[in-house]
Amino acid sequence: MEIVKLLSVLGAGLAMGVGAIGSAIGEGMIAMKAVESLGRQPKASGKIVRIMIIGQAVTETASIFALVVSLLLLFQSGDQHFIKGFTFIAAGIAIGFGTVGSGLGAGLPGSAALEGMGKQPENSDVLTIQMIIGQAVTQTSTIFALTVSLILTLLTPVYSFLKIFAILGAGFAMGFGAVGPGIGDGLVARQANYAVGKDPRNMGLLTRTMIIGQAITETTDIYALVVALILIFVV
Amino acid sequence: MDAITGDQLIKALALLAAGISMGFGAIGPGIGEGFVGGKACEAIGKRPDEANLITKTMIIGQAISETTGIYALVVALILIFVV
Repeated sequence: MEIVKLLSVLGAGLAMGVGAIGSAIGEGMIAMKAVESLGRQPKASGKIVRIMIIGQAVTETASIFALVVSLLLLFQSGDQHFIKGFTFIAAGIAIGFGTVGSGLGAGLPGSAALEGMGKQPENSDVLTIQMIIGQAVTQTSTIFALTVSLILTLLTPVYSFLKIFAILGAGFAMGFGAVGPGIGDGLVARQANYAVGKDPRNMGLLTRTMIIGQAITETTDIYALVVALILIFVV
Repeated sequence: MDAITGDQLIKALALLAAGISMGFGAIGPGIGEGFVGGKACEAIGKRPDEANLITKTMIIGQAISETTGIYALVVALILIFVV
């Protein structure tokens, strides 16, 4: 039916349009601090640019997930039961909004690491490791959103009036539910990177505290995932 | 397709509301817990010898920030299974 094609294209637009916001802002924050650090430490330019590119590459992950789902949705045939249309738009909402938090969040530790480079460029190795660990944990919320949106894209649920709303609800739960924990994880990782940049000797202690803090921040995301899966499979 | 009854409409909108409740309900606690964890890392960077006390306080603070997220979860589950 035409309606399936229409909803899948709308979902593709939502996925990529909204999904680009977070990563773009996050990468901008990293580049901003990189330029600032280059102004302070022009001699360390090679190391600063290297950390900037690594940090931006990890931040980009969230948007690449959105691109993948968006392409999957764009090439769906319209010749399917019309409930698939609702799963496509829910998949778009889940991954589109779900990447905003991780994109923004991954930018925060990156910018803190680069600010540390501007002050003490000799800490570059320690800062790179700390930044990558922080950013990797920050991506969890996007990975949950990707899981839900791939399930929604590939699944063909049995049609009922209730199922349409349950599927839209699952999209909203996972999409918006991933925003807060993504930003929160980034906030934890940012302060850990600042602290490591000031005194790299505390790195072990700080990494431990950062991971505990991020794990607890991630719990609300897990609630959202559970609610989304209940709405998809149980209702 | 059969006609949609009022009861079905209420149930359908309750399912949508469950998603919205959990989705938006997770934003606040997520960011709030991030602030707590961030400041804890900052404090440990300044006073590494007080790490145990700081971690303990961080976990209590995050647990309390978490409560609103749990409220959202409870409301979502009630909307799915009870309404």
